[in-house]
Amino acid sequence: MRSFKRAGAVALVAGLALTGCGRDSGSDNAEEAKAVSEGKAKGDITVWALGAEGEKLGEIAKDFEKENPDAKVKVTVIPFDAAHDKIATAIAGGQTPDMTLLGTTWLPEFSATGALDPTPTDVIDEDAFFEGSWSTTVVDGTSFGAPWYTETRQIYYRKDLAEKAGVTPEAGWSWDDLKAFTTGMQEKAGAKWGISLQPGGQGSWQTVMPFAWQKNAELVDGDKFTFNTDPMKEALDFYASFFKDKVSPTDLTPGALETGFINGEIGSFVSGPWHMGILREQGGAGFESKWAVAPMPKEDAGTSFTGGSDWVVFKDSKNRDTAWKFVDFLSQDAQQQKLYELVGSLPAVKSTWESGELSTDPLLKSFGEQLKDAKSAPAVATWEQVAAPLDDAIEQVSLGKADSETALADAEKKANAIGLGG
Amino acid sequence: MATVAATSTAGRSSRRRPDRGRRREVLAGYLFSLPFLALFLVFTIGPVLASFLMSFTDLRSADVRSPLAVGFIGIDNYTKLFSDESFRKAAFNTAYFVVIGVPLTMMLALAVAVALDTGITRFRAFFRVGYYLPVVTSIVAVAVVWRFLLQPDSGLVNTLLGYVGIDGPSWLRSTTWAMPSLIAMSAWRNMGSLVIIFLAGLQVVPKEMHEAAAIDGAGAWARFRHITLPMLRPTLLFGGVVTMIGYLQFFEEPFVMTRGGPLDSTLSTAYYTYNQFGFGNYSYAAAMAYVLFVVIALVTALQFKWLGSKE
Amino acid sequence: MTTSTRHETTAGAAIPLVAAPEPTSRPRRRRSADIGEPRGIPWVYAVLIGGLVLLVGPFLWMLLGSFRPNRELKEVPPAWLPEHPTLDNYRTLFTELDFPTFFLNSVVVAVAITVGNLIFCSMLGYALAKLHFPGKRMIFGLVLGTLMVPGVVTFVPLFVLVSNLGMVNTFPGLIFPFLAGPFGVFLMRQFFQSLPDELIHAARVDGAGEFRIFWSIMLPLCRPALATLGILTFLASWNNFLWPLVVAQSEEKYTLPVALAIYAIGENNSDYGLLMAGSVAIIVPVLIVFLVLQKHFVRGIAMTGIK
Repeated sequence: MRSFKRAGAVALVAGLALTGCGRDSGSDNAEEAKAVSEGKAKGDITVWALGAEGEKLGEIAKDFEKENPDAKVKVTVIPFDAAHDKIATAIAGGQTPDMTLLGTTWLPEFSATGALDPTPTDVIDEDAFFEGSWSTTVVDGTSFGAPWYTETRQIYYRKDLAEKAGVTPEAGWSWDDLKAFTTGMQEKAGAKWGISLQPGGQGSWQTVMPFAWQKNAELVDGDKFTFNTDPMKEALDFYASFFKDKVSPTDLTPGALETGFINGEIGSFVSGPWHMGILREQGGAGFESKWAVAPMPKEDAGTSFTGGSDWVVFKDSKNRDTAWKFVDFLSQDAQQQKLYELVGSLPAVKSTWESGELSTDPLLKSFGEQLKDAKSAPAVATWEQVAAPLDDAIEQVSLGKADSETALADAEKKANAIGLGG
Repeated sequence: MATVAATSTAGRSSRRRPDRGRRREVLAGYLFSLPFLALFLVFTIGPVLASFLMSFTDLRSADVRSPLAVGFIGIDNYTKLFSDESFRKAAFNTAYFVVIGVPLTMMLALAVAVALDTGITRFRAFFRVGYYLPVVTSIVAVAVVWRFLLQPDSGLVNTLLGYVGIDGPSWLRSTTWAMPSLIAMSAWRNMGSLVIIFLAGLQVVPKEMHEAAAIDGAGAWARFRHITLPMLRPTLLFGGVVTMIGYLQFFEEPFVMTRGGPLDSTLSTAYYTYNQFGFGNYSYAAAMAYVLFVVIALVTALQFKWLGSKE
Repeated sequence: MTTSTRHETTAGAAIPLVAAPEPTSRPRRRRSADIGEPRGIPWVYAVLIGGLVLLVGPFLWMLLGSFRPNRELKEVPPAWLPEHPTLDNYRTLFTELDFPTFFLNSVVVAVAITVGNLIFCSMLGYALAKLHFPGKRMIFGLVLGTLMVPGVVTFVPLFVLVSNLGMVNTFPGLIFPFLAGPFGVFLMRQFFQSLPDELIHAARVDGAGEFRIFWSIMLPLCRPALATLGILTFLASWNNFLWPLVVAQSEEKYTLPVALAIYAIGENNSDYGLLMAGSVAIIVPVLIVFLVLQKHFVRGIAMTGIK
């Protein structure tokens, strides 16, 4: 239709006119963190918190207001699923709050927009946090936030089935031990599946990477992604062997995992601390004694994956000082402890683990130990996009549709075509 | 004989319209259009133009704070698309979905609408609400139930198939069957909206015509073909275009049920575009969206040709 | 006695128009009570009911599910009847959440958008279908064209625009972008095309002004189309999630779907019971609107007896 051609022509001309605007040849990446003023916090800040966990922030914020009577904290809760879109759009439209919570894997991507304020070292102490958690805030040598809560993955297993089969997980057990453990539960304790692993699909890299890190795999080398390396291949082959040998199902519907674990069909699975609450809720009374968690096996290292959420402050914030003081407040032991009590999320601060339930409950202690040896994804802005080919490779190999060499080489090629971004 | 004869005239009344009336008509035309167009230009055309321009740059999420300081790369985004394997797969999937899904949904909806209009006399409201329910039911509930239906071992579909001796596949995990499952689910879900559109259109068909034809001995099917369908043309065109546009952008079903899998077999162009936005590749995603737009425009033009102009 | 004319409208859709034959010319006498009363066909009922069962399934599951505790809902395969029926989900919904605020916000936004669309789209649709003025074709093409642009791509530029206009976190920001819906224009235009031109000509001869013709004569004939547009627009606005989420900066401006997503969905643990109850609560107003408007899916009275 004529009208479209006309519109198209207009647009093109306008576009050409804009060539006057252009990209600068590279901008300065290293940023200096500015110091925070002394004294009590003043003024108002708006804080975005995510999901059902974020709802409890209001209570903790009240304590901050008590300590700093001139300050006011306004908490707005946003849904977890859509938070990424909302924050991205807010940055684009210049409508950011003073500070917000971010999923750890999002931080590098948002820091690339230049909207985040570097962490002031006079207020926030790096050593207070678990190394893995802190690393999620660091991009190109600069930290852009502070961890709030963290999580890590371990192996949930049926204690009673393991006993029946005569196998026990121990700290420092090897890959072979893990294999024997899972097949043992199948052969000797009547479990249908020894373990339930995610056969590819979104996020499966989080379950596979621990095994790769246990063989000291590195995902990035300089400015290239390195997926097709020996440790990665070994890890992926080991992971896929569970499917090949029919130790893990390939076809589980959401929700079937918990049901299967509770009724004894599934002997074990890999997950984070949130499953403790889920199992307690769904298993009912009497189920508590039947399960436990075991640490990740150890080959060259006993590393697991760590995630969680970090606080970030926006450069455009009108009250940056108070925002950072609030972040500091939230990382004190008392507040981290309160967070655990209200929400059940694991504190990212090491010292909080030295007292209370976190230091006595055996399940929690296990997670606390694992947190000391946990890594996260490389801090590159394009990680979410690059993880997709990796997930595809995992799916291909798990379902037996390709061998690990071909799949990983393909994923590496795609990843490098995308680049590190920033 | 039927007094309803169609005669072709020049299309206007033979009386010449006086100039003053003509001017009044033109003025009315513009005034009537004004409120809509004012809002439309600001809130729709503006962003469309901006995003169109964006597709000729290399804007990424890292650039949003300084959107004018991006490089103008011409049609690079567009050429990149055609060598993008995932995009080609998504395009194929979308075509597959549309070619099968649109006629299927339209036929089902038309059948139901006609049935509701003339086939039954009681409980009409009840049926109308019932057929509209899938449209309003939360996608979460829909997903749960459909997943249950399609479960490989204990799902309803495979159980029923088992009675006839067929070993049903793992529907959502099979690269061959995932797409047909989603097509069925979409037809089921979107039928309701079309039903009420067709119902509205059917009201234009005067009962008297049907009666006259019935008296003259025309059977139900003949009446449907020669009376109802032609009169329904504008509505069919509308329903067809709108369904086609909607299906070319189908997103929710793969998003909720299969996440584009298994192995990208249910990845749609809209879903892929959404992913690219999520990754921050704004300009690339914009280019993708406009390629989709061109396809939609072409297909719509075709539809107008078939169902629209005559003589 | 009867005339039939084929009209070529500018968009080229030809619609045969027929006026009612006068019954008295027929040899067979028909009583008025007989006219227009088709008998229901039994097998049609049967098929429709069969289809209905299939369609209503998920809704029923959702309804029953809203009375079940979260724990039960996560079971696989999903059972139908609640083992431990509970009103807790609804209690949480109405007490812990600021339900009245969210509900009111949703109502204001959805009603405003629906009414706006009904008025603006019918005006433009009428103009495009029945009035003759230069630029008509281009306008229709433009409107139709934007219907084909995937919404996701205009999202960010629209937000930047709304933000620059200072409409973030306001009702205008939630409403204005959707008042000019191309879908509505398309629907109304198609429908107006099927109405006879004679009515307009006759009214003009009688000296009626253009707006009067539109408002008092043509619009009332559109009841089915208006009802359809009303329902579809209301539904879309009511269920809209992403835009209200992005535009609202404080919880007082949240609409129901946004509020539900926040309270029911956590990062790793979701409260399905609350989600079901909330989903049911969200559907109820839509169904009410549907029930009210659907009785307009009946023949316009003026379709008969045109002289």
